[in-house]
Amino acid sequence: MISPLRPAPPLLLLLPAMALVPVLVALPFLVHGGGWDLIAQFLLAALHPSLDPLVLGSALSGLGVTVAIALLGWALSLALGLGAGLLSSRTLWATAWGLRWPAELIRRLLALPRSIHELLWGLLLLQLLGLQPAVAVLAIALPFGALVARVVADQLDALPGARLEALRAAGAPAGPALLTALGPALLPGVISYGGYRLECALRSATLLGVFGLGGLGTDLRLTLQSLQFNELWSGLWLLLATMLVLEGLVRLLRRRWCLPNRFGAGASGVGRRGREIAFLILLLLPLLLLQARAIGVDPMVLLHWNPLPNWGTSLRPAEVLALPWASLVGQTLGLTLLAAALAVGLAPLLLLLVAPWPWGRVLLQLVWALGRLWPPPLTALLLLFALKPGLVTAALALGFHNLGILGRLLLEAAEAAPEGAEQALAVAGTGPRLALLHGRYSALARSYLAYGAYRSDVILRETVVVGLVGAAGLGTALLEALSSFAWDQLLALMAVYALLTLVGEDLSDRARRRLLRCP
Amino acid sequence: MNLSPVLELTGIQVPGRQQPRLCDVSLRLEAGERVALLGASGAGKSTLLAVANGLLVPEFGRVLWEGQPRSRSRRLSRRQQARIGTLWQDLRLIEELSVQQNLNAARLAVWGWPRALLNLLVPVETAACAAALERVELEPALLGQPVTALSGGQRQRVALARLLRQEPLLLLADEPLASLDPRLATELLELLLRQAEAPRALLLSLHRPDLLAGFDRVIGLRQGRLLFDGPVADLQADTLAQLYAEGP
Repeated sequence: MISPLRPAPPLLLLLPAMALVPVLVALPFLVHGGGWDLIAQFLLAALHPSLDPLVLGSALSGLGVTVAIALLGWALSLALGLGAGLLSSRTLWATAWGLRWPAELIRRLLALPRSIHELLWGLLLLQLLGLQPAVAVLAIALPFGALVARVVADQLDALPGARLEALRAAGAPAGPALLTALGPALLPGVISYGGYRLECALRSATLLGVFGLGGLGTDLRLTLQSLQFNELWSGLWLLLATMLVLEGLVRLLRRRWCLPNRFGAGASGVGRRGREIAFLILLLLPLLLLQARAIGVDPMVLLHWNPLPNWGTSLRPAEVLALPWASLVGQTLGLTLLAAALAVGLAPLLLLLVAPWPWGRVLLQLVWALGRLWPPPLTALLLLFALKPGLVTAALALGFHNLGILGRLLLEAAEAAPEGAEQALAVAGTGPRLALLHGRYSALARSYLAYGAYRSDVILRETVVVGLVGAAGLGTALLEALSSFAWDQLLALMAVYALLTLVGEDLSDRARRRLLRCP
Repeated sequence: MNLSPVLELTGIQVPGRQQPRLCDVSLRLEAGERVALLGASGAGKSTLLAVANGLLVPEFGRVLWEGQPRSRSRRLSRRQQARIGTLWQDLRLIEELSVQQNLNAARLAVWGWPRALLNLLVPVETAACAAALERVELEPALLGQPVTALSGGQRQRVALARLLRQEPLLLLADEPLASLDPRLATELLELLLRQAEAPRALLLSLHRPDLLAGFDRVIGLRQGRLLFDGPVADLQADTLAQLYAEGP
């Protein structure tokens, strides 16, 4: 029985958009005097990117570095993640050595690198190793590797054990038995997830550049701060083209190899495509080596650690305790919820608004693509031209970025959903918006919201990247502690932040399971 | 008093890959008429129904609904569309919603946003929904159930109740009996025929000539062409055999 006053799935999908109301109420108080002309100039410059060969050359070489960092960081994270994932699999330990506790222990330990955002890794490694291309690569590889490890271990342990038992009972040794029984079943999910991580790696490499770790991101930030909007757009359009090509390629391969997409599972096995995959991996290896040489990644630098400045004199527990912990944590949570609600709620709302016009959808796709590739701290800096710094400004920047990611997923899911119900409504005279809401949103509401729950957990981790607009909770405090070499505060802040993201991860997991379980 | 036919097709032509899906088809459907559409698979029954409900714009020919053509933008007006009701073979119920919300979805053409959103939050227009269920001989107690909880026969009837709640003038049904067992098929057909009284008209495609008893008229399609159009009593065995014959 459906009880009264329970929002139906399509309505549930629109509820997060209610977060717009407080934002719109707060907006007039956030606007400061000028700056609108700058924003207008920025938007107009999109139509006139600089075509100066010098600018284009610099943007291209920056893009090359960013792509190389992304590829290297991604490849390293896959290698690390596969290894760590196997090591933290309960099935593997139980089959090979008859133990379970080491898997649990490694799993717990991997939660730590996962809970720290790649930007923090980057800034920390920067202090330890100096400005090196290897820093950005490692900053991506460490947290991404831990994320991949979790997915690998979870998938491995979720596979039915009967096949493995059958092989073991027939006398196969542990290694070959595991490989034969679980390998082929594991591959589609891991490759599909790996493709998604590559898209993430490109975004992260750009972001790290914004904070000075090299590549196109650095150019973007410098041109924005010196108000050279035409030059800024040259870089942005190049980055957009690269990202769209990469996304298209990943989608193409996912389809060609019949891999599951991110909404729902259901892989049909890699089958005959196995040879193509192996060939592609072999092709990738020399490419990676070449790129590592081209941008000067030197693994040996990892052995030379710089002493941290101020290390000995900075342990003052009283000052650590004096930090306004309650408000820092409160702001971080507020920022996360607001940004997540904006991103999750606005995507279906906007798609609904443009439903009657086919070109509206194309325009939306373009804006979303820009949101995805445009690093949130740059959006925040841009918003600061017209808005005061603060939590809402940070939430808008973070929300816009994640809107780009969620919007694309929603559109993909909407296009994959069966069209019958929507068509039936349209033929009976229902308007295009209401037909979309009832006919298509109903079917995908739960899986979309479940993905939104996962995304909120990512957003919590990402709040640090908009820390630079101030009043954004732990992220702001962290960046301040880093730049003033207050290591004691930094460690305490990072510990609290890590704890918060672990709790957040658990909560979003529960929310996701609940959403997917309900009929 | 509106004297134009409910539906009037003249010289309809729909091209296909090898042969036309419809070739020079003309027919009139008057208020109160119950017409069965017969033909082998691929004869063009579904195409004809898609032309009739406005989903498919024919290459050539004229379609008039209550004497009115499509507007110049080649789209049917909201009001026109609301008066054409289709019973889909796959029913096209919205699985995530309750029976009542599904029934009310038929009113979305005339409702504004506030009532549409309210329908997704609380039970709306319960009396009218209960009446629609009673007309298809279902208990009003089902209103609060999710449609996924219904049996196959109940789902068919809910889809029919939704069609009635739309209050259309033209009832179209594409092989609604195809996936039903014989008893359910006769029951649903009886319900459908009972609802099609003047000013309504019914056009229903069938693949079972044994169920023609309640119809006023039969239209036979063969390879996209009109082979027969007349009273049920005039349909001879050899015409029927010709309708289902193989080869050109």
